[in-house]
Amino acid sequence: MTKWIRWSGLIGFIVVSALIVCFWMFAAGPLTKLAIESFGSDALGAKVDVADVSFGLNPMTITVTGVQLTDKDKPMENIVSFDRAVANIEPFPLLLGKAIIPQLSLEGVATGTPRRVSGAIAKPEKKEKKESPSDAPDKKAAQAKPESKTLPSADEILERESLLTEQAGDAFETAYATHSKNIEQSLANLPTEDSIKQYETQLNKLLKGRFKSLDDFKQRKKELDTLKAQFKQDKQAIANAKQAIKQGKSDLKLKFSELKAAPKQDLNNIKSKYTLDGAGASNLTALLFGEDAGGYAQTTLDYYEKVRPLFVDEATQAAKAELKAKRLEGRFVQFETDRPQPDFWVKTLTFTMSLPKIGEDSLSLGEVAVNVLDITHQQEVINRPTLIKGEGVNLRNIASLTINGVLDHRTSPGKDDFTLDVQDWQLNKVKLGLAGLKIDSTLVDVQAKGYVSAGQLNASGQARFNQVRFSSKDRTVLAKEMVAALASIDTFVVNGKAKGEFSDPSMSINSDLDKQLNSAFDQRIAQKQQELENKLKAKLNDKLMGYAGDYQTQLQELNLTEGRLSSKGDALEKLGKQELSSYEDQLKAEAKAKADAEKARAKAKADAEKARAKAEADRKRKELERKAKEKLKDLF
Amino acid sequence: MLAMLAKLLKILNSDASPGQISLGFAFALFIGLTPFFSLHNLFVFLLVCVIRVNLGGFFFASAIFALLAFILDPVSISLGEYLLNHPELQPLWTNLYQSDVWRAFKFNHTLLLGSVVLSCMLFIPVWIAFSILIKLYRTKLMAWFEKLKIVKFLKASKFYQAYERLGA
Repeated sequence: MTKWIRWSGLIGFIVVSALIVCFWMFAAGPLTKLAIESFGSDALGAKVDVADVSFGLNPMTITVTGVQLTDKDKPMENIVSFDRAVANIEPFPLLLGKAIIPQLSLEGVATGTPRRVSGAIAKPEKKEKKESPSDAPDKKAAQAKPESKTLPSADEILERESLLTEQAGDAFETAYATHSKNIEQSLANLPTEDSIKQYETQLNKLLKGRFKSLDDFKQRKKELDTLKAQFKQDKQAIANAKQAIKQGKSDLKLKFSELKAAPKQDLNNIKSKYTLDGAGASNLTALLFGEDAGGYAQTTLDYYEKVRPLFVDEATQAAKAELKAKRLEGRFVQFETDRPQPDFWVKTLTFTMSLPKIGEDSLSLGEVAVNVLDITHQQEVINRPTLIKGEGVNLRNIASLTINGVLDHRTSPGKDDFTLDVQDWQLNKVKLGLAGLKIDSTLVDVQAKGYVSAGQLNASGQARFNQVRFSSKDRTVLAKEMVAALASIDTFVVNGKAKGEFSDPSMSINSDLDKQLNSAFDQRIAQKQQELENKLKAKLNDKLMGYAGDYQTQLQELNLTEGRLSSKGDALEKLGKQELSSYEDQLKAEAKAKADAEKARAKAKADAEKARAKAEADRKRKELERKAKEKLKDLF
Repeated sequence: MLAMLAKLLKILNSDASPGQISLGFAFALFIGLTPFFSLHNLFVFLLVCVIRVNLGGFFFASAIFALLAFILDPVSISLGEYLLNHPELQPLWTNLYQSDVWRAFKFNHTLLLGSVVLSCMLFIPVWIAFSILIKLYRTKLMAWFEKLKIVKFLKASKFYQAYERLGA
């Protein structure tokens, strides 16, 4: 029997096997490192760096340290980096070329870390296709598109917009300065108090006492005429001052009403231009939160897009399906099992990631312990989707944070579901995108869910901001009004949606903040209008008063004086005329009295003659009657 | 071609027993007909190293069977398909499939299973047949064969001499 055994052959086999094991121990690490860097860089399109790879035999493990995956869009930044990854590997499936990793732990995971050297890969120069003229506009449009998507910041809006409030304010100030100058000049020509008293004294002197003679009358009249000329001049000055004040009042009233209407008009203009009415995607909430929210959403989508091929290799699946048709190479027949073996399978991946800093907080919000189950590009083999579960740990200012994801690609098209739940997130000093606004403090609850299927993204989320307090350092009218309007808002809800092509989804953010803010704005505008009106009225009055000290009193006094002067002037004129006429009448009256006396005497004489004639006639009539009676007696 | 013929003559005319040469041929079935990078071939190599089989015959036959595999692969695949899909064998395959060790042998691959089963089926017949054929050759044909001009030409060639010097 022993003649059939070849001992030298047995020793040779053992030696060869030992050599293979030695190779595994010493050479496999560097070779694997090279393989990861080479294939990883090809797959990622940017440099993948690995510091070291080492293998252990019992249990079979692979330890990879210092891994940096460059962001191909930012070569000086890593998409993801981690200090150490330890993976347990099942040995027998490895003989089939299958990497089954029951446990993969990552330590020191970070995103967006800076690189010391650029991770860009020099691409082979490709001959660029000559562009046809018809392609050019499309390209320009495509280049212009991202710009159009960018929401303007508040400062940009304020810089960009020509505010009517400012224009009206400037116009009001200019008009105020002009009119105040005119009024001051007019007031300078007005008679003083002393001169008015002197007028009164002179007037009284002229009007008191009887005219001694015609010369006296003439002298007084001459002085009165001089005084009246002076009155006329002063009256003109008063009229001019009145006219200047009236004109100033009218113009300033007009300018004031324009100024009063300007803030509302500005707000309406801004609202219509930036569709703050909730009708458009870039509404007020988007203006407030859009840039950040949009940025976070875009970053998440970018990361998902980069990571997705690692989970789902649809191209490989299609290629394999095509390959299965080739019978000559044979095929694997799968049987029911509780131990499926895809080509690549990480059963459990655990790592911890730092949450980003929010607002002016210098510290991270905490960490998320992520547990990913069943990472494979052949989910149909294990008949399980990839599950992602993240739980917040060591959280600061957050009560709880949960992230869940299900990447199901067992059937085509696959579907990736995600949910996010954040409870009682205390946000402090978060800068918003408009008018220097920031949230001083608020408690936020966030719920979001979304799915990607057949290249279509459909995601929605809701953030409920409770006990919210706003403030702004800006001193613009818009900022003040925003703060005043937001002061009445204690709770609001922000709803976000992303829908459409995964690579270019249309995103919208809206909330009841729009409604609340509109309502608050309406109230605030009405209140502010009243305040502004009162304030401006008072200010205008103050300013008007300020032009000539106690201008109002002086104006009233001027008005009184003007009235008094007018009445006295009229009285003086009347008195003057009256004196002149009485001196002439005096002469006429004397002549008339004389004529009347003559007339009376003649009348008395005539009356006496008439009475005498009447008495004679009566006597003659009585005599005739008596004679008639006597004759009648004689007859009978 | 000439090198292979020379090699065959060297093996047939060597002192190795017909049994050892034919056993090498039989083991070569696995290496030639089945996919080379398979776990079972590691055991075949181990056996070939440990058991005193004619290595020259083994490697020569491996090359010959590898060429034959191009013709036999469809047969192997059909056989594998038949076996793996046979309803009565499903419990067996399912049980084996639960083991990582068995799966490491790729037993559920149609070509591999078919070619291994074919090799197993041919192992004994090849061993016996080639033993008989080699014995017949040595007793009845070797003398006549060596007298052939072509064989004399080959043996006189520098290649054969160099081959002999190497002791292959």
